[in-house]
Amino acid sequence: MPFPNVRLANRPLHFIYICDCSGSMEAQGKIQALNQAIRQSLPGMAEVARQNPEARVLVRAVGFADRAAWHLEQPTEVQQLQWLDLQAGGITAMGEALELVAAALQSPPMEERALPPVLVLISDGQPTDDFDAGLAALMRQPWAQKAVRLAIAMGHDADTEVLQQFIGNDPGGGLPAGEIPGASGQRPLHRSGRSPRRPLQASNATSLAQYIQWASTAVVGAASMPASRMAGSGPQANIPLPDLPPTLMDPTDDVGPLVW
Amino acid sequence: MTWILPEGASLDLEGISSPLQVLRGLGGGSQGQVFEVEVAGERLALKWYLPACIARDPHLKRRLGESIRATAPSEAFLWPLALVTPGPDALPLLRLTEPGFGYLMELRPAGFVGAHEHVGGHLAIGLLQVLRAGFFLAEAFHALHLKGLCYKDISLGNLFLEPSSGRILICDNDNVDVDGRDLGSVLGTPGFMAPEILMGRARPGANSDLFSLAVLIFRLLTRHDPLRGRRELAIRCLDEPARRRLYGEAPLFIFDPIDASNRPDPIEHAAALITWPIYPEPIKLLFEQTFCAGLQAPQRRALTGQWMAALAAALDQRQLCGSCGQETFPAPSDPAPLCWSCGCPLAPPTRLRLPHGQVTAAAGNELHPHHFDRLLNLRLDQPLARVEAHPSAGDLLGLRNLSDQAWRAELRSGQQLVLKPGQACNLASLVRLITPAGAVELPC
Repeated sequence: MPFPNVRLANRPLHFIYICDCSGSMEAQGKIQALNQAIRQSLPGMAEVARQNPEARVLVRAVGFADRAAWHLEQPTEVQQLQWLDLQAGGITAMGEALELVAAALQSPPMEERALPPVLVLISDGQPTDDFDAGLAALMRQPWAQKAVRLAIAMGHDADTEVLQQFIGNDPGGGLPAGEIPGASGQRPLHRSGRSPRRPLQASNATSLAQYIQWASTAVVGAASMPASRMAGSGPQANIPLPDLPPTLMDPTDDVGPLVW
Repeated sequence: MTWILPEGASLDLEGISSPLQVLRGLGGGSQGQVFEVEVAGERLALKWYLPACIARDPHLKRRLGESIRATAPSEAFLWPLALVTPGPDALPLLRLTEPGFGYLMELRPAGFVGAHEHVGGHLAIGLLQVLRAGFFLAEAFHALHLKGLCYKDISLGNLFLEPSSGRILICDNDNVDVDGRDLGSVLGTPGFMAPEILMGRARPGANSDLFSLAVLIFRLLTRHDPLRGRRELAIRCLDEPARRRLYGEAPLFIFDPIDASNRPDPIEHAAALITWPIYPEPIKLLFEQTFCAGLQAPQRRALTGQWMAALAAALDQRQLCGSCGQETFPAPSDPAPLCWSCGCPLAPPTRLRLPHGQVTAAAGNELHPHHFDRLLNLRLDQPLARVEAHPSAGDLLGLRNLSDQAWRAELRSGQQLVLKPGQACNLASLVRLITPAGAVELPC
């Protein structure tokens, strides 16, 4: 006889992409690279969702150019998700995008009980609207304060300062360069000075895909089901973030660096 | 995924005598990546660590080397077989700034799936197999602890099950350490960690393993969490501080016999309420022992041997409901047991009387060497006989001889016959079976 048809109660985990679709994203295949990176990351994300019986992973996406609009408005279970391509063209209404997300994180429509949401902001430029007002509206929402907020800077024209404001203060700001906040001992874990609490610099399609994959798998895992803890990590932020993907030396990398 | 070892490459590694060929990447996480490899014609798995993981855990290499020399406590562990470091020719092929090291282990055999598949309700599995999995898990920790070792970080993520048999595999054995030595950095996984570890009052060891083991058995048996009841409903955002409260600062067992304030919610925690009544009292008492007194007093937690005994005894009294066919586990002392599933009264079953214990005659139940000799260790992997339904007449039960010796059967008719290895004998006609291990008696 089968085990009774019951399962662990789960909570929703809202994962929201906030994607820059301004005209500059058209250059050098950036928007295509972003569409590809997200599409390629979905099977891994679905696998992580399945491995985390405590979570129901629901994906949404906002695109912003002249205006901000939901690209994928309905919270969609990752297993059912088919990614439709974002199109680029226009200016950079990032503030408005944050207001849209703020409205979505209000309760209702947010469920009474959930896992911390994951917000991923991806941009290659500077906001052209009132970013501060958008961010303020977002951060008034308790669910946004609880959210894991990540930012990916595509290329070197991105405004890393506003991306850092979106993430919030890097609690490791006072630490020696390269030290991950809360990491044990004095040993710098990321010699390049990378930290998930700072904007992630994607300078080519390969690193963009790696960061998107990391956000949609490792971070979703960390937000939905706790991972192993190491000694010395001390009291963490509301969600301890997993290590960033390793810096790979890849002499055979023939994906072709898009020079952004 | 970008693989840190190039697929298809042949690597010259120190620690093994033959070159190793990387066949394909199998998976990766924050610690490292796992590859299917071939060494001297044998397919194995190779785990390669990322530099950040090695930096966090300075004694990793030493522990691995010691585990390899100590050899696996039992077959349930996918144990490290050899430690490998890159030779000079392999260095340029590694896509890492610091090459690090890895270890070889057996590949996980086909048929084993992650335990999360069961807890998430994705797996077709029976109660028999789930109880067996619990037994095998306790047995594996028993063997590990008897070797003076501890695991430190057991969770759903490193347990695999074979749904057809209940056999288990424990992976990620790289935190294993000599108990009490504390030559490692891992603390455990929240939700499975003992409260004193989560709160930083103690370091992980065999006593905290016992807590994690009980959580894991609870999750296998109920598909629910032992500490998540009404108190969880008051939590809006289930983040780190909230988990710390639930599992560390103010943990309370959902079935605490005295304090009922954290009972499961009928809607949100239905799994716990439906499954808990299935199990016999001795199993519930071990959970109470571990999750009530044992929450704050590690030495009061149920021991591996107690789990093995309680789970094996539950399997001995497994009975199929005559009305709905569901697996039930009524205590022999219960005068009027009811089926947990349909509520119908359970008919008094036929019980096989053995030199040491009784086994209910229900298809799938097995006789083991420990039923004949109380000095033998409890084991479920070498059954001597199994109760089976007749292939065409399903209500006819037989006992199949799984040993390699012939048995003598005494029938109700007074007739005697020889039951050769592999043969089954109709239980309805049987009075007694004489085996070299001892006699199996049926009630008149």
